[in-house]
Amino acid sequence: MTTAFIILLLPLVAAASNLLLLRKKANFSAFVSTFSAAICLVLTFGLIRQDDLNNLGSFNWIKIADLKLDIGIELHGLGLGMILVVTLIGFLVHLFSLGYMREDAGKARYFSGLSLFMFSMTGIVFADNLAMMFIFWELVGVSSYLLIGHWYHKNTAAEAAKKAFLVNRIGDFGFMIGILLIWGSFGSVNFVEIEGSLRNGNGNYDKGLLNWSVFCIFCGAIGKSAQVPLHVWLPDAMEGPTPVSALIHAATMVAAGVFMLTKVLFLIEVAPTAASVIQYVGAITALIAALMATQQNDIKKILAYSTLSQLGYMIMAVGFAGLLSGGEVLGEKASNAGFFHLYTHAFFKALLFLGSGAIIYACHHEQNIWKMGGLIGRMKVTSFTFLIATAALAGIYPLSGFYSKDAIMTIAANKPLLLVIGSFVAFLTAFYMTRLCVVVFFGRARSWSSEEAKEVPLLMLVPLLVLTIGAIFAGQTFAYSWFVPSKDIPHPEGVVLPLILTAIAVAGIIAGFFLYRGRDQEPYPVQVLSRKFYLDEIYIILVRIFQDAVAWVAKQIDRLLIDGLLVRGVARLVTEIGSVLRGMQSGNLQGYAFLFGVGVILVLYIINAAIG
Amino acid sequence: MPAYYLEILILLLGFTMLGIEAFSSNRSRSGIAVLGISGLFVVLLFLIIAVPSSEVPYDYWGIYHVDKWALFYKAIAILTTLLVLVLAKDFSSAFKKYTSQSNEFSGIGEYYCLPIFVCAGLMWMASAKDLITIFVSLELVTIGFYVLVSFMRRNVGSLEAGVKYLVLGALSTGFLVYGIAWIFGVTGHFDLSGIAEALNSGEIEKKPIIFAFALLMVGLGFKVAAVPFHIWVPDVYQGTSMPITAFLSVGSKAAGFIVLLRVIEPFLNSPLTSSSVILILSFLVCVTLFFGNLVAIKQTNIKRLLAYSSIAHAGFLMMALPAMESGFHSKLIGPSPMESISFYLAGYLLMTMLCFLVITIVSSLTDGENIDDLRGLGARSPLLAFAMLVGVASLAGIPLTVGFFGKFLLFNIAIQYAVFSGSWYIVAFAVLGASAGFYYYFKIIRAMYCGGAEQDGDQLALTISTLSRVVIIVLLAGVILCGVFPKLILGFL
Amino acid sequence: MLDQYLPVLMQLSVATGFAVSTLLISVLLGKSAKSNAIKDSAYECGMLPIGDDKPRFSVKFYVIAMLFVIFDIEVVFMYPWAVTFKNFLANGQAAMVFWSMSGFVGILLVAYLYALKKGALSWKS
Repeated sequence: MTTAFIILLLPLVAAASNLLLLRKKANFSAFVSTFSAAICLVLTFGLIRQDDLNNLGSFNWIKIADLKLDIGIELHGLGLGMILVVTLIGFLVHLFSLGYMREDAGKARYFSGLSLFMFSMTGIVFADNLAMMFIFWELVGVSSYLLIGHWYHKNTAAEAAKKAFLVNRIGDFGFMIGILLIWGSFGSVNFVEIEGSLRNGNGNYDKGLLNWSVFCIFCGAIGKSAQVPLHVWLPDAMEGPTPVSALIHAATMVAAGVFMLTKVLFLIEVAPTAASVIQYVGAITALIAALMATQQNDIKKILAYSTLSQLGYMIMAVGFAGLLSGGEVLGEKASNAGFFHLYTHAFFKALLFLGSGAIIYACHHEQNIWKMGGLIGRMKVTSFTFLIATAALAGIYPLSGFYSKDAIMTIAANKPLLLVIGSFVAFLTAFYMTRLCVVVFFGRARSWSSEEAKEVPLLMLVPLLVLTIGAIFAGQTFAYSWFVPSKDIPHPEGVVLPLILTAIAVAGIIAGFFLYRGRDQEPYPVQVLSRKFYLDEIYIILVRIFQDAVAWVAKQIDRLLIDGLLVRGVARLVTEIGSVLRGMQSGNLQGYAFLFGVGVILVLYIINAAIG
Repeated sequence: MPAYYLEILILLLGFTMLGIEAFSSNRSRSGIAVLGISGLFVVLLFLIIAVPSSEVPYDYWGIYHVDKWALFYKAIAILTTLLVLVLAKDFSSAFKKYTSQSNEFSGIGEYYCLPIFVCAGLMWMASAKDLITIFVSLELVTIGFYVLVSFMRRNVGSLEAGVKYLVLGALSTGFLVYGIAWIFGVTGHFDLSGIAEALNSGEIEKKPIIFAFALLMVGLGFKVAAVPFHIWVPDVYQGTSMPITAFLSVGSKAAGFIVLLRVIEPFLNSPLTSSSVILILSFLVCVTLFFGNLVAIKQTNIKRLLAYSSIAHAGFLMMALPAMESGFHSKLIGPSPMESISFYLAGYLLMTMLCFLVITIVSSLTDGENIDDLRGLGARSPLLAFAMLVGVASLAGIPLTVGFFGKFLLFNIAIQYAVFSGSWYIVAFAVLGASAGFYYYFKIIRAMYCGGAEQDGDQLALTISTLSRVVIIVLLAGVILCGVFPKLILGFL
Repeated sequence: MLDQYLPVLMQLSVATGFAVSTLLISVLLGKSAKSNAIKDSAYECGMLPIGDDKPRFSVKFYVIAMLFVIFDIEVVFMYPWAVTFKNFLANGQAAMVFWSMSGFVGILLVAYLYALKKGALSWKS
C-alpha cells in the first residue's frame, strides 16, 4: 500500500462509512470527511516531496485475452500540480462547508458526496491509462450529479442535476469512442505505452483516424469542461451549494478536461486538424461566455460564465500543442501554458466562489447583485479577499493571473485571430468583474438582506485567507517550479505584450467602474446577452423538434403502413374473403404478418442486389 | 455425469411438477413453484460442479454438442427460468384473477411447469449443431411460449398477444423450415460442419444458398427480436404477464443468439457467401438500432418501453456479428465477438431480471404498468427504487455497471471492425442509439425520484417477500460486481 | 420415362373406380330413388352443414380430438425405431435401444396420466 493509494482510497472509505454507518450522526460524518481531506493534504505534501515517483503502485484489474486494464498510478510533472490543487482546495472547501452547511438537514449526505468526489477526482489525476481515467471520469460525473442535486426538493436543482448528467453523457460517449479508437490503433490504453508506440512508429494508425480519435477524446473535455456547444449545464449547476461550485464547478472537475488533454498531449501533437478544432472551440467558448457574463445579475452565474470563459482560455492554449502551419510544434510549451492558467485560476476562482458563498451566507441566501451593495463596510475581510481575487482574474501585476494570462497570450500570438479574441476576452473579464465588485461592494445597500449582512465566522474566513495567499503568489516561480521548470512555461519576450495586456485590463476596469458606479439597476440591458444568446431556448426547441420528428416518423409508419396499407388495403381484402380471427383486432394481426413478409422481401431484395 | 443428463433432469423435474399439479389435493400452488426453483438451482449446481472437464468439448451422436459455450448458455437458460419462477410466484396474486373464475390459485400450476419445459428446449438449443436439432428444440421453446403468452385466459390483452405470437411465430417457423429445406437441398447436409465443408468445396451456387440463409435469418431474427421481424415484440410484451415478458426478453433472446452465432459462422467464413452475409447483417443491425431506440423514446407503458429496449439491445448485440468474419479475427484486440456477446447476454440477464422483478412487485401491488406508476417509488420503497435505478442505469450503460462493460466490449469490436472494413455507419447508428437510450431510461429514474406520489394511497409502503428481497439483492450485487470485476463472468468463457 | 408413374395411375383409377362403382351399385340395387331434402343433404359427422358461420362447440370436443391425434401420430415414430432396431443390437447398443423407446413411451405415459387426472377424457363434468 503506497502513500498514493492511501490518498486515493481514504476519501472512499470516508464516503462509504458516512453513507453506511454515520447517516444519523451528521456532525460526526462532517468531521470524518474533513479529517480525511486533511490527511490527504498532508500525505500529498509528503508525496510530492518524494524523490522517486516511479512505481507508485499498480495492480491488474481485468485481463482477458489481450485486453488488459490496470489500475495504476502515474504521477509526475503537471499531475503533481494538479493533485496539490485537488487536495488543498478540497480541504479548504471541506473546512468552509463546515460553516456554510452547518444548518443543512442533508449534511451527512453532502459530506459523503464531497468525499466521493475527492476519491473520483484523485483517481483522474492518478490514472496511468485512459480506461481508468474514464472510469473515474464517470464517477466525478456521478458525484457532481449528487451534489448539484443536493437540494433535490427544489425543482430547479433537480432539473439542473439532470441537465448536467445528460449533457455530460454526450461528451463522455465521444470520449469512450475515442478511447476505443486509440485502443484499436495502438493496442493499449496506457499513456506511456501509447506514447512509446507513437514515437517508434508502431501501431496501425493512420493520420485521419488519429485526428478523429483526438477529436472524440476532446468531446469528453467539451462535456466536462463545459465548452461550447455543451456549456449549458455549468451555469445551471450553480443550483448546488456554493462550496461545491467552488470545488467542483470552478477549480477541479471542470478543469479535468484540460488536465486530460495535457495527458494526451503526444496525441494532439500529431493530430493538427483536431488541434485546431480544440483551439477554436476554446476561443469561441472564452468569447461567448465572457460576453454572457457581462449581463448576468446572479453573483454565482457571473462567476460561472467567467469560469467557462477561463476554461476556454486553457483549452485554446492546449490546442496549440498541435502542429502549426509553419511546421513548428509547440507541444509541451502550449500545454504547460494551459495548465499554468488552470493552476492559478484554481486558487483565485475558488476564492471568488467561496467569497460569493460568504456573501450569500451573510445576505441570507440572496444571490442577486442588484439587491446587495455597500458590503465593503460590513464584510471587510471577505471584501478584501474578493477584490484581490478579482484583480488576479483580471490579470493585474504582480498577482498570479497576470503571469498565466501572459503565458497563454504568448502562445496565442502564433495565430493573430486568436490573439485578438483572447485580448478582447481579457478586456471583458476585467470589465464584468469590475461591474460585479462595484455593484456588490460599493454604493448603498439595496435591500434589507444586505443591510443586515455581517462578517462570516472565522471557520469560513480561514479558507478565504489561505486561498488569497495562493491567488497572490501562485504565479511566482517558487510556487510552480517544483512541478514544472520555469523555462518550460512560455514567457513573453520583451515587455510589449505584458504592457498591452495590462493596459487592456486597466481599460476594462476603468470602463466597468465608471459605467456602473452609483447605479441601482442594470443601466444598459442587452437582451441577447442576458438571455445567453438564446442557446438554452434553441436547445429546447431542437430537442422538441427531434422528439416530434421521431414521434412523427413512428406515427407515419403506423398510419401509412399499418393503417393505410394494411388495415384498409390488405386487411379489407382478407376480411372480405372471410376472417377466422374476426373480433380479435384481426386487421392488426394480419397487418403485422404482412409487414413481416415485407421485411422478408426487403432482405431478399438486398441480397439479390448484392449478388448482382 | 454426461452433459446430456442435465436436460433429462430438467424434464424429470418438469414431469414431477406436472404430476404434483395433477394429483395433489392442495389448493395452493406455491409449493410447485418452490419445488421448481429449488430443482433448477440443484441442476444449476450440477452444471457447474458435476460436468467433468473431459466432457468438454464433446460431440454426442453428431446432434448434441457440448462445449464451453453450450454450458454457458445452458447456465443462462437455467438461471433465467429460475428467476422467471421467482417472478411468477410474486405475480401469482395479481395473476389468479385472470386464470380462474373464482379468483383461486388452482389455475396456475401449469404456469410454473411450462417454463421448465421451455428451459429444456433452451438448453437443447445451446447444444444444437444440426439444423434438425435446432428446429426441434426451437419448436419446443416456441410451443411452450404459445401457451405461456396466452395463459391469462380471462384477459383479452393476453389472449390477443397469444394469438399474435402464435400466428407470427408459425409464420417465422415456416420461413425457418423453408430455409432449412433449401440448405439441405443445396448442400446435402443438416449438420453445420457438413454445411461448412460444402460451402468451401466450390461446387455450390451462390444464389440459392444466400436465399436459404436469408430465410434462416427470418426465423432467427424473429427469435432475437431484430427489426424488421420485431413486430410482434411490443404487443406481445405488453399483453402478456410480466414474468413471461421477462422470459421472452431474456431466455428466448439468449438461446436465439447462440443458435444465430452457430449458424452464421460457416456462412461468414466461406469466401463464397461472406460478403453478402455481412451485408444482410449490417442492414439488420442498423435498422434494429435505429428503430428500437428511437421508438422507445415516446413510450409511456413500461413494458412497451422495455420491449423496444429489448429490440435495441438485440441491435447492440448483433453489432458484433459481422466482426466474426474470418479475415478480421486475428486483428481484433480484446475479447472475441462470441465472448463479448456472451458477456453482454449474461449481463443483460442480470439487469433485465432486476428491472422486471421490481416492476412485477410494483405492478402486482398497484395494478399499473405505466412509467407514471413508478412515481414516488424512491420514497415508498428505497430498496426497490435503488434496484430499479441500478438496473436501468445498467441498461443504459452507465459505467461501473455490467451493462457498461458489455457495451464497451461491443463498441470495441464494432469500432475495430469499422477500422478494418470501413463500416463506420454501424458505429454511427450505435452511438445515436446509445445516446437516445440515456434519454428514455432517464425518464424512469426521474419518475421514481423526482415526482412525488400524487395520491395518498400511493404513499403506502410496499411489502416485499423475503425470497424476492434476497433475489433483488443478489441481482443488484451481480450487476454492480460484474460491472466492476467483469472477470466474474468472463472467467467462465 | 413415365413408367415409374404407373403405380400412381393405377392408384388413381382404383380410387375413382371404387367411388363410381359404389355410387352406381347403390342406385342400381337400392329401392327406386325417392329423394327429399334431408336425405340429399351432405352428411358431415353428424353436424348440421347449414347454420351460423361461427358455431360454438364445447372445448372438450377439441381436447379429445387433439389427444386422439397426438396418441395416434406418436405410433408413427415407433416405425423408424423398429426399422433401425436390429442395426443397433448388432452394434451392441441394446441399452440405448431400450432406453430411448422407454423414454419416449414414458413421456407419453406422463402426458396421458396428466390428461386423465385433469379430466380431459371424461365427457361429463
